[in-house]
Amino acid sequence: MHYQTESWGSYLPPPTTVNDPFRRIERLAAENAVVIFSLSSCCMCHVIKRLFCGMGVNPTVYELDQQPLGKEMEKALMRLMATTSPVPVVFVGGKLVGAMDRVMASHINGTLVPLLKEAGALWL
Amino acid sequence: MASHHHHQQLQYSVFPGYNPPNTGYINQEGSSYDFGELEQAIALQGYNKAHGDENKLPLYTTVPRPAATLDMFPSWPMRVHQTPRASNSSTDSGSAVHVAIANTPEMHSHIEPESPISGNGYSRKTSSEQHQQMLRQQLQHLHIPEQLEMESEGGSPVTTGGSSHSQQTPKPFSEKRKGIGSTSEKPVDTKTQRRLAQNREAARKSRLRKKAYVQQLESSRIKLAQLEQDLQRARSQGLLVGGSGVSVGGSLSSGAAIFDMEYVRWLDNDQRHMSELRKGLQSHLSDNDLRVIVDNFVAHYDEIFRLKAVAAKSDVFHLITGMWTTPAERCFLWMGGFRPSELIKMLIIQLDPLTEQQVVGLYSLQQSSQQAEEALSQGLDQLHQSMVETIALGSVNDGVHHMAVALGKLTNLEGFVRQADNLRQQTLHQLHRILTVRQAAKCFLVISEYYGRLRALSTLWASRPREALIGDEDLCQTTTDLQMVQPPSQIHFSNFG
Repeated sequence: MHYQTESWGSYLPPPTTVNDPFRRIERLAAENAVVIFSLSSCCMCHVIKRLFCGMGVNPTVYELDQQPLGKEMEKALMRLMATTSPVPVVFVGGKLVGAMDRVMASHINGTLVPLLKEAGALWL
Repeated sequence: MASHHHHQQLQYSVFPGYNPPNTGYINQEGSSYDFGELEQAIALQGYNKAHGDENKLPLYTTVPRPAATLDMFPSWPMRVHQTPRASNSSTDSGSAVHVAIANTPEMHSHIEPESPISGNGYSRKTSSEQHQQMLRQQLQHLHIPEQLEMESEGGSPVTTGGSSHSQQTPKPFSEKRKGIGSTSEKPVDTKTQRRLAQNREAARKSRLRKKAYVQQLESSRIKLAQLEQDLQRARSQGLLVGGSGVSVGGSLSSGAAIFDMEYVRWLDNDQRHMSELRKGLQSHLSDNDLRVIVDNFVAHYDEIFRLKAVAAKSDVFHLITGMWTTPAERCFLWMGGFRPSELIKMLIIQLDPLTEQQVVGLYSLQQSSQQAEEALSQGLDQLHQSMVETIALGSVNDGVHHMAVALGKLTNLEGFVRQADNLRQQTLHQLHRILTVRQAAKCFLVISEYYGRLRALSTLWASRPREALIGDEDLCQTTTDLQMVQPPSQIHFSNFG
């Protein structure tokens, strides 16, 4: 069964604000084809943004130091990724791709582009 | 004569016939006076020429200058030997002539602690002044019943042997008197003046030469001490298998030293893997057997990336500036290693024949690695810009804070090197996936050979004849030398097609 990104939205309660950072991450990740959680001071976040722009993708970037609940989301990401550096984290089509290492690896082994195409972020 | 220093071995070797005095002198300054050896050597040379029979002197206390026209001797510092250290006043004039040949502060500070006389704060005169003063002293000291020692500028004042000197006083002084007397008793005429001036000139030149040589020796000594330290450290950590093939330039951090040692070992392994691959391809092993060899080779490359990750934590600059590589590799370095897209470009040409699917795969691999490289380079540029701003904008008041911020930014370098290595590793793995076993074997062989040749290029370059810098024809010659290196390996590859 083909998994639509929109279907996420129908399972979430219709809140004006979501106080749970995990939920918030999920919701934000589902709203766009390519979502990057970033910090404005992070170098690797800049690299990843450049990578996607260089491919012709227009990612939605959330700078956690400028977000409400940003700190909590950072902590949530750290736990999610089991690393000490919360960012950058990339979601494509609402699905977690991973941090910098994984994104690079998936780009090199050729799995990132199909994923982007599938999510509608990239056209030939 | 030159005072007796402890470098007796050198004396013996340089002047076998020379009979140094016995240890009536206790040489206090046992530490190195490298320049002292040279001075002694030079002094002894002249001394031996001048006074063959003076060798029998048990103590070097004499000032042997028979004639003031002997070239270098007037330049030698005259040292008044003090029996009690306190009796400076009486020997004031003489020791004031203590010429530090370097006449530079650093040399003096090097020397002064050792020397009680110079430690008495005698002013540092210019060499010519000192020289003049020396001549004056020579004349004056004819009447002073004290030992005048020829002594190296930094040399130890052999003070403890003082008492024994006094016995020698009459003899050396008579010689000295003999030596100097000729000039002091006659009126100083123009001929003598000219000779003296020439002597001064020659003396000054030799002082300068000596100064340069001594400085060279000192720096080599320091470098040697550092090398030994690094070696010791590495050995104690069980990393040094014996004989160091690593070129250690300057002081390495311990992380860098460790990595360099591991890298040497990795290069040896690389050779081993390469020959295994070559044999495997030549002997037409089955695909399964070849696969084992190829997998080992991939693991071998994984190893170096792991080592680099460890090294990046302790010394990222060592990696990113390429100090672990040879100059030619360093010249074309990208973010602490090779540039994956360039590697693929090279391989596409060499790996014919390829299926269409493989060609597509390789080109897309080239493209994606190029994109990733571009992103990393841009990220590094941005970091650079940010650092420039931080460092430049640090005011006097805020300086410490800005430096702290800059330090924090520098820690990001480790991330860049790690990501670049990750990119390299992923590229190699992807090559392994795209290619068949035989193609992969050839591919990895090509890669290792390429870097081997790049390293060899560095060696060749370093040992090229220097005349190549002068004329174009020599330049051509070196390039043809290099071309001679290439063809055999190309023939190699055509066998594996």
